[in-house]
Amino acid sequence: MEVTWLHLIPLLPLLGAAICGLAGRWLPKAWLYAVALTAVLLSFAVGVLAFTQIVPLPPETSKLHELVWPWFSAGALHVDLALTLDRLSGTLVLVITGVGFLIHVYSVGYIDEDPGYWRYFAYLNLFVAAMLLLVLGDNLVAMFVGWEGVGLCSYLLIGFWFDDDAKAYAGRKAFIVNRIGDFGFLIGIFVLYANTGAVSFDAVNASTLTLAAASTAAALLFVGACGKSAQLPLYIWLPDAMAGPTPVSALIHAATMVTAGVYMVARLSPLYIQAPGVLAVVAIVGALTAFWGAIIGMAQTDIKKVLAYSTVSQLGFMFIGVGVGAFFAGTMHLLTHAFFKACLFLGSGAVIHGLHGEQDLRKMGGLRKAMPHTRWTFLIATLAITGVLPLSGFFSKDEILGQALHTHAFDFLTLTPNGGAHLSFLGPVIYVLGTLTAAITSFYMWRCYLLAFEGEYRGPSEVHPHESPLSMTGPLWVLACLSVVALFLGLPPGIAHALHLEGLSWEHFTEAVFAHPRGGLGEFSPWAGYAIALIVAWLGALVARHFYGHGRAVEGDARFAAALPRLHRALENKLYVDEFYDAIIGRPLWAGAKGLWRVVDATLIDGLFVNGTAQLVALFGAASRRFQNGDVQRYAAVTAVGVLALLYVFLVRG
Amino acid sequence: MESFFHAHAAQHYLVLAAILFALGAAGVVLRRNAIIVLMSVELMLNAVNLTFLAFSRFPLTQNAPMPGGIQQGHGAVFFVIAVAAAEAAVGLAIVIAAFRSRQSVNVDEFDTLKF
Repeated sequence: MEVTWLHLIPLLPLLGAAICGLAGRWLPKAWLYAVALTAVLLSFAVGVLAFTQIVPLPPETSKLHELVWPWFSAGALHVDLALTLDRLSGTLVLVITGVGFLIHVYSVGYIDEDPGYWRYFAYLNLFVAAMLLLVLGDNLVAMFVGWEGVGLCSYLLIGFWFDDDAKAYAGRKAFIVNRIGDFGFLIGIFVLYANTGAVSFDAVNASTLTLAAASTAAALLFVGACGKSAQLPLYIWLPDAMAGPTPVSALIHAATMVTAGVYMVARLSPLYIQAPGVLAVVAIVGALTAFWGAIIGMAQTDIKKVLAYSTVSQLGFMFIGVGVGAFFAGTMHLLTHAFFKACLFLGSGAVIHGLHGEQDLRKMGGLRKAMPHTRWTFLIATLAITGVLPLSGFFSKDEILGQALHTHAFDFLTLTPNGGAHLSFLGPVIYVLGTLTAAITSFYMWRCYLLAFEGEYRGPSEVHPHESPLSMTGPLWVLACLSVVALFLGLPPGIAHALHLEGLSWEHFTEAVFAHPRGGLGEFSPWAGYAIALIVAWLGALVARHFYGHGRAVEGDARFAAALPRLHRALENKLYVDEFYDAIIGRPLWAGAKGLWRVVDATLIDGLFVNGTAQLVALFGAASRRFQNGDVQRYAAVTAVGVLALLYVFLVRG
Repeated sequence: MESFFHAHAAQHYLVLAAILFALGAAGVVLRRNAIIVLMSVELMLNAVNLTFLAFSRFPLTQNAPMPGGIQQGHGAVFFVIAVAAAEAAVGLAIVIAAFRSRQSVNVDEFDTLKF
């Protein structure tokens, strides 16, 4: 259905950003907050309106479309600035503006004392606008604009306190690592255009490509997803991104921006199922990242770092989901994760706020008394992420693992072209790794919860932990409720049918949006998987309780370190990945740049070309200066000799 | 040599003028005394005058090259003499001014006309 008001959704936050950014310094604080919050709230309202328009429509035509303006055309390339709101992007619009609004409310309490509050809200509004464009764009180019826009806002907000060198560095790191991914994304768009002659999702998704073309495009686009969604090997920017204000970590680096890669892969599901090899790569990268992030998260002492690695790990789960062809499972986890991880991050922000900036888990403890609201919401979100029945994370994570175990997406894959070495074992392997990761997730999340909220307070006595204002606890409760309520998205069909809630089932709701992999999705009964998942979740919790419960807190880390000293040290140091990258990429580049600077720039360009030219002229000048000695008689003599020479040439020889 | 002594046209005058001109030029270039240099300039001018008069007396063509006719050369000589007189006056004034500032008329010492 063609409408004319869809552009309001990204435009309102953009206007808010413009007002906050241009006039914010002079606006009264209350007005500025009103502008920033109203912009997002109105955008949410328009989103809800749009959503109610598409839900009653039959699934195949359930979308709104607006051609804002034909953007540019060059030769056969026509790019429109056009927006599409279908069931997937519509839901994401609600999450972005809804969670975004909650985080704006929370930010009012969090950033109020900072002198840069107006800058903060301008960036935050700009981010919401860019993210909405990313999600709503009906072609890859419009999506790319949003993609770069959110990257820019991420950079600006990570380096929000830019007078701190470490934080400014973290911002640059995020930007540069994302640049690598964006490069792949851009080349992917070019490849798609070269092979389909179009950039709009509808046209790209409707076209049939050769295996080589589909694989190349899908793989390149996945490189972009790896950068934006912090997958191996490009995840390293996300933990450092925690240098930004905590609400930013909740909004950008947990709930919305980092899931853009998952969204993009899901949006292009018809392309990805034409490239089963790339799907397998997506699933493998997802599984490895999930595991990798989880084990590093086990030994981090900074509460935000734990959550950051947890985000890396959970994003890995989402990529397992889309990688095994269960696009609905990956995106469902995207939604539930947006709720509980935003809740966890905001909870950690409330803790940090209440402890006057302390982020070290070892100096927390016993906060359940001082911060009951924060504690309860954090607990609910922890239960959700660790996959305890019946919270949302349980259903979405288990859907992914079940789909991985039973997938048929890899049945046709072989390692060699002539049919040897079948890869159908890949799904079960990923399932095992994912289940192990789920246990580790449960361990590190309970460790985090126990260290922060249970036991006795271990911080300095002059800091008195206190509960946060209502503007911060309110959003916490809303998000905690959402992370419970979101369970209805993923109820198993039998129960959903019994409760007459099939309409809420995400799989059912998005049926027409996603393509199905060759071989179809796995048909399976979820109950055995549920039992295993539940056992695994409690197993992790029990191990965490064994180490960190009973008020043992910090000794837990010491016992962990004593039990596995080398592993613990390696995990504490983030498995030396930064050092590794520094050694194989950073230092060679640095040395190369230094060499280029010294040899090419300083010696060749500055020395030979620039100064060399000047010296040559100076040399000629010094030589010719000897002719101009001020002796008129010599001038006359030289003139006479010259005249004689001319006379000789013209009269005698001529 | 034979043809030189038997030539009856302008040749002798021209050779004399060339010798005078060369002497004058040598004086201008080689002598250090500014007054001698001025005198040498006069010598060069007079060598030119002699050339004018020689060609006026023994024209190379039958048709006068200039509207004033063959006698135009004499006119040019009068101009040169007049200008030379003016030049001598100005030149001597410069020499006196230079002498006042440098206490010398040695042209080697007037070498500030340079970079």
